[in-house]
Amino acid sequence: MSMNFSEFKKLMGADPRNRDAETLRARDSAPEFEAVAAEAEAFEQRLEHALHIQVPDELLDRIKVISQQPVRQRNWIPLALAASFLVFVGAAGLVWKQSHQWDSVEAYVVDHYSHDGSRVIDQIKGGITQQAISKILARLDASADHPLSDHIRFIKFCPTPDGRGAHIVVSTEQGPVTVIYMPNTQVADGETVRFDRMHALLVNLEHGSAAIIGEQEQNIENMVVMVRNSLKTGLVDT
Amino acid sequence: MTTDTERTHRFNELAEAYSTDLYRYALWICGNDALAKDLVQETFLRAWRALDSLNDVAAAKSWLITILRREFARTFERKVPVFTDLEKVLIVDDEELEPDDQAERNLLRKGILKLEPKYRDPLLLQTVFGYSCTEISEQLGITKSAVMTQLFRAREKLKTQLQKDGVTGNVHELF
Repeated sequence: MSMNFSEFKKLMGADPRNRDAETLRARDSAPEFEAVAAEAEAFEQRLEHALHIQVPDELLDRIKVISQQPVRQRNWIPLALAASFLVFVGAAGLVWKQSHQWDSVEAYVVDHYSHDGSRVIDQIKGGITQQAISKILARLDASADHPLSDHIRFIKFCPTPDGRGAHIVVSTEQGPVTVIYMPNTQVADGETVRFDRMHALLVNLEHGSAAIIGEQEQNIENMVVMVRNSLKTGLVDT
Repeated sequence: MTTDTERTHRFNELAEAYSTDLYRYALWICGNDALAKDLVQETFLRAWRALDSLNDVAAAKSWLITILRREFARTFERKVPVFTDLEKVLIVDDEELEPDDQAERNLLRKGILKLEPKYRDPLLLQTVFGYSCTEISEQLGITKSAVMTQLFRAREKLKTQLQKDGVTGNVHELF
């Protein structure tokens, strides 16, 4: 049975690029069908032009950088090997715990920054590649997006109260600011810690938390939004 | 060629084939350039990590769209993005238009952003990705008949909006 005018009109409204045999037959069956089809096509062209926006030039390059990240291995480990590995990790963890014990996150932040915070900043020479940033953060199931990624000048693994984290130095208009990312630690969100001539702001992230540390003259509150929006945490396989 | 090199090559092919359409799709569903770029990068980051699970290359487009849509939903669970730079993005065109044509195009774009997601989603899948109604129904998990209805209504709403603004002549007040 052939398509009536009402059905054809609805079809053209839903699927104007439809070229199946029945549609083409209906289109050619009468001038009013032809007119509806022509009108639908004209509108579709305008719609497609409207949707066809420019794509940022750098997008593809930014995506291709992703492929330089290491992929977590999923190889099956024989049971005996796994057991011995766990014993080793357990022993290593115990040694690490004994040498790094803090009563609180606040104490950790003060101890950590006092240990090498200023020295790290003083020793920064030149920039760091996006690849290096991605590589370290990926190991912590995290990534840094624009604009944070553009301002990172230094990154390294560091101990945190609950395992490995990242020590990051970010350049700002007011000078370098240190961000300690703690993937497994929760903090009193918004708490400020003051020590020496420094102050640190503790913020919870989607997974884990961060301590944003700067000199007391520096406005580190400005960094909170950037860190929260740009430091993607808790990334897992899809 | 090593396995790692093959993997990278495969990933880069996906990026070259789909990043443009995914960015356009992301921008039209979120209305924010920075967030759209984040969504696309996040999509490819997850794709990179899960690339070995993609056995059928023909399913790559649908797979990437699903990842992006899921990531967009997760973003909204965390926070509602602020749409501030829409005009800046939308006004950029790679061709010069007569003022009336440009105004109409801008109105159409505004109309697309105003559409409810249930109308906008199938329309974008059809016009940005070239999906058929059957493919859209599979992607969105709704019947083909529902897809046809939503596509028809989406276009009707856009036409109505254009006619309304055309009659009142207030096309410039939006910008």
